[in-house]
Amino acid sequence: MIPLLSAEWLKLRSVRSTWLNAAAVVVLLALCGLWSFAVAGIWDGRPPAERAAMRAAPPEYPMSLALPLCTGVLGVLAITAEHATGMIRVSLAAVPRRGRLLAAKAGVVAAASLAAGLVAFTAAALLGRLIVGGRGVAEFHRPVGEEAPWIASLCLLVVVSALVGLGLGAVLRSTAGGVAAVTALLFVLPTLVTTVAPDPWNERIGRLLPTSLFAQLADRTGTMLDDPLPPAAAGALLVGYAAAALAAGALALARRDV
Amino acid sequence: MRGPDAAARVGRMIEVRELTKRYGGTAALDGLSFEVRPGTVTGFLGPNGSGKSTCMRVLLGLAAADSGAALVNGRRYRELERPLHEVGALLDASAGHGDRTARDHLRCLARTHGIGDRRVTGLLERVGLAGVARRRVGGFSLGMRQRLGIAAALLGDPGVLLLDEPVNGLDPDGIRWIRELMRTLAAEGRTVLVSSHLMGEMALTADRLVVVGRGRLIADTSVAELERRFRRGVLVRTPRGAELAAALAETGATVSAEDGGIAVHGSTAEEIGELAAARGIPLYEVATRSASLEEAYMELTAGSVAHRAEEVAR
Repeated sequence: MIPLLSAEWLKLRSVRSTWLNAAAVVVLLALCGLWSFAVAGIWDGRPPAERAAMRAAPPEYPMSLALPLCTGVLGVLAITAEHATGMIRVSLAAVPRRGRLLAAKAGVVAAASLAAGLVAFTAAALLGRLIVGGRGVAEFHRPVGEEAPWIASLCLLVVVSALVGLGLGAVLRSTAGGVAAVTALLFVLPTLVTTVAPDPWNERIGRLLPTSLFAQLADRTGTMLDDPLPPAAAGALLVGYAAAALAAGALALARRDV
Repeated sequence: MRGPDAAARVGRMIEVRELTKRYGGTAALDGLSFEVRPGTVTGFLGPNGSGKSTCMRVLLGLAAADSGAALVNGRRYRELERPLHEVGALLDASAGHGDRTARDHLRCLARTHGIGDRRVTGLLERVGLAGVARRRVGGFSLGMRQRLGIAAALLGDPGVLLLDEPVNGLDPDGIRWIRELMRTLAAEGRTVLVSSHLMGEMALTADRLVVVGRGRLIADTSVAELERRFRRGVLVRTPRGAELAAALAETGATVSAEDGGIAVHGSTAEEIGELAAARGIPLYEVATRSASLEEAYMELTAGSVAHRAEEVAR
């Protein structure tokens, strides 16, 4: 398996789309910085008596919205770019056991996403602290015991997004289709469920979506949910999304001609 | 000790047996069987849509056959432990991510088999791409991509090569290069199967021919044999035509007058020469005429062209 992982790692880093994704992370980090400056500005503009009650989204908020989409696209492209360019035939001629090829891709995409998540979320949180400085905004000064599980949950979300993207890409074989499916799962469905489904179904369905599960995993749903899932169940369900998508992708890849 | 069965099997590097595959209502492969042996270049010929590419994809495990077997070195492709060391394939020249450099494209494949970068560099030199090794494949001409595809096929130093239309897009220099390469590879004892829809190209390169049409085997023969089969008699020019014609008729040959000479069927040039010498008849010209291989191919595949002009016109 090591040679296959090494080959897939080279494939991933030798195409421009991967580095465009990395550039997007840098832009998102800058957005996190801007958000931190904005929070600092609001703090400074308020009379000291009102400052204690000030609530703000945490510094990594812009990153947590967009990074899952970035890694989702990374996962989609890892397989659909091969279909689009005909590389898949060359790849499968070298690795005829298709499940192994998909497993190697999953390993590399997951590792790259995990690394990106760890670096990006930690950097965003540190940047926020640096910019907000001594101002007492609670969300910018969480204790490590609270911060670590939150970032870990976010990292799981970006890894799951990447693997769901890979699985859906293997099923759909189309970059446009795969990206649309990932976007629907991460952005469209949550909004749709919140706005369209009647109470209490909006919460019952909404809490099962990945973008909600990660917060339940970190046990930090705040006022978002009345009846959150236990963290273990939320984590299992989140991993289940990746497993189901990969299983479907493996089946599609094994069954169909290329 | 090898049993007789194993000994017989050794020579068959590529075995296709009763291969059938349907796409919807049409049969791409319809009970196709043939074998390819080492040490020769075997031309895999057929009109467009005759099943050549499908057959190669089945051989490489990329497409699944409905029935039948496609074996390489006696095994199905998916059962090969290290396939690049056994089979090298050039399928579609454009296959490969345009972003990747030529060198990285090969390294991606090499790494799956633990093949080092040195081999990659050496191959890029061998196919004449050393100068553009670090350029993106997206900017390559079709001919350069063909060369890169050949390098990929040779990566694992395989004993069996499957090349699908390798001369497409090559300039005359490139065509000569690939012809020589294929001959060299065969001379090294490798099994080389080259598909083409152009008979003229195969006549120059191949020793043996597997001709297919509509997914069926039409001929499995040598180039020399095909030429013999499509011989069109002997044309003789002589000042004493009537005399020679009479003598030839006695031997059972059919003779007819033809532009400036006589056309003889049922007798070889050697026999005619001997006969004329015995009778003291001078011969100005004795020419064995055969249909060109191109004509032979057209005749063979006439009934099996998938997309005929008149069908399209309907």
